Amino acid sequence: MSESVLPDQGFKLRYDETIEKALTEIEKLLRARYAFSRRMIALLLLQEDEEVLKAVKSREPNFPQIFNVIRSTREKYREHLRYVITLQRQQHANSILSQVVQDTPVKGSRLNKWLDGITIRPLTGVPLLLLIMYFGLYKFVGQFGAGTLVDFIEGRLFEGYINPWINQLVAETIPWPSIRALLAFDYGIFTLGLRYAVAIILPIVGTYFLAFSLLEDSGYLPRLALLVDAVFKKIGLNGRAVIPLTLGFACDTMATLVSRTLETKRERIIATLLLALAIPCSAQLGVMLGLLAERPAALVTWAGFVILVFLLVGYLSAKVMPGEGPAFYMELPPLRVPRLANILEKTLSRMQWYFMEIVPFFIAASVLIWAGKITGVFDAIINGAAPLMHALGLPSQAAEVFLFGFFRRDYGAAGLYDLQKSGALSGVQLVVTAVTLTLFVPCIAQFAIMLKERGWRTALAIAGFIFPFAFLCGIVLNLVLTTLGLSL
Amino acid sequence: MTARKENPALRGNAGLLRSDKKPANGKTKKLILVGSPNVGKSVIFNSLTGSYVTVSNYPGTTVEVTRGKGRFYQEVYEVVDTPGMYSLFPITEEERVTRTLLFREKPDVVVHVVDAKNLERMLPLTLQLLEAGLPVILTVNMMDEAEAMGRRIDLLRLSEILGIPVVGTAATSHHGLDLLKKAVVEYVRKRVA
Repeated sequence: MSESVLPDQGFKLRYDETIEKALTEIEKLLRARYAFSRRMIALLLLQEDEEVLKAVKSREPNFPQIFNVIRSTREKYREHLRYVITLQRQQHANSILSQVVQDTPVKGSRLNKWLDGITIRPLTGVPLLLLIMYFGLYKFVGQFGAGTLVDFIEGRLFEGYINPWINQLVAETIPWPSIRALLAFDYGIFTLGLRYAVAIILPIVGTYFLAFSLLEDSGYLPRLALLVDAVFKKIGLNGRAVIPLTLGFACDTMATLVSRTLETKRERIIATLLLALAIPCSAQLGVMLGLLAERPAALVTWAGFVILVFLLVGYLSAKVMPGEGPAFYMELPPLRVPRLANILEKTLSRMQWYFMEIVPFFIAASVLIWAGKITGVFDAIINGAAPLMHALGLPSQAAEVFLFGFFRRDYGAAGLYDLQKSGALSGVQLVVTAVTLTLFVPCIAQFAIMLKERGWRTALAIAGFIFPFAFLCGIVLNLVLTTLGLSL
Repeated sequence: MTARKENPALRGNAGLLRSDKKPANGKTKKLILVGSPNVGKSVIFNSLTGSYVTVSNYPGTTVEVTRGKGRFYQEVYEVVDTPGMYSLFPITEEERVTRTLLFREKPDVVVHVVDAKNLERMLPLTLQLLEAGLPVILTVNMMDEAEAMGRRIDLLRLSEILGIPVVGTAATSHHGLDLLKKAVVEYVRKRVA
């Protein structure tokens, strides 16, 4: 049925004589049947496509002759055949387009041009980025999402109504204390796991997705990528990586998932490492900002140190990791006014997807904390970590913050909040804990995604690097600050 | 076109990589969307499909493939949204997966979505898809933006030159999508006839 398939097909792309001759010869030599046309198989063979070469080699008795054609054709050109064929095809496309496309340059609206310019020029682009971060991330996601909404859903609804009701129900119906603790109260599946997912993560991630979709649809993100490309190149990534890394400020787990959109394995590994190490997630960021905001010097020290680590580790890993630096090509779409319906649809479907993906992990974390508590494993770990805490210049109860931080990043940060409120920490101790906690944890959900996305070997290597490195950074920072006699 | 004449294996035969799908003359037809990133493929996918959408990793990869079902003019189509692709000669894992999909799944129609503003960069892939002997419909999306830039495209002439249906769309504002559905149905009917 092949010939009657497209009676109206008049199109034919002709390459130069040498290539056409080679194609005809190869097509004649091909015996097996392929899902693509023989001509395409021949073209891919000439370009030495590994997958096709392998398939053809295994099934074509004429492979030696075919390979001879490829080799003799290759020798007739100075450039790689891949390049020659691509170039000729492009010329063909151009000649077609010259017949159908007419461009009459219109002067873009002044406003558009002006906006275009200021988004990508560093002098104006950087302040604009900071404004967007301040209003979009800090104000909307941080204060409104992580503050107002979380306070309402978690503080009012859960603490006020849902949790007491579940606790009472469990207390009345279940006689065994350990099962009660599994389902309800401080670490229960319902009262901790689901509460975290619904009351803390969902509003934060929801507001973040909304802001992100807005930026995405407005065409701003590619401009941001262009703006930061130069810096990112130094750390082995290209500007495009700004998207997963920004996403990390909402949730590192999700951002690790999104890092699969990066082009090379090398970039994906560097991005995963940086996300796990130096990007605090929104939940953690919210608590940290709230904590450190009371001491501006501490806040600046924390931010400066974490940024330093981010750049340093990025730079070093780009040096150490084999492979070439990424090329950057991304077209700049025009800025456009986003459509509300599209944005809402996108936001909702992302929230739904995220929620489905995250709930099982939260339940698992609840169960693990419960088991750790009940078996006394947690207490043993906390006691064992006391010397480490002392090396950091911290009281031994800080160990609990780190341990729980692994289960939920923000849980660790929240524990820090309690410690500080009780007056147990000095300014230096606060900064040291905040820095170590920021660097230290990929939370358990993020770690699970790292396993899934990067494979166990890479994930374990990253975790094995981060755990000691985070504490080392904390110890060094503590030494430097105390030696300098700063009080912050 | 030579590619087609010399390609008796366009469908129904074992491919370069063996097929695991039923032949295309079953009830559900298959439509594969291809194109480079940021051309509005997902928007078109969403408007072609209903709510039964599944996202899964392509076997053995971390690349996501989205599948959904749509009904155009009484015909049920399985619609596959593929990862971004610049060329049939793959460089990224995404491109490799998309090519494998095209190899294996024996689409009844391949809808190549391109950005009207960047036809120069994207038409080569259309040419490659045609060279591969695939049943292509070219969808020139973002016509509104191209027009705003002062670009006019003679779609009829382009369709004549390529010998395939060419549809102009502005997917974000839902322009031209009905035309696309109609073109798909007519094209597949004609090819079966």
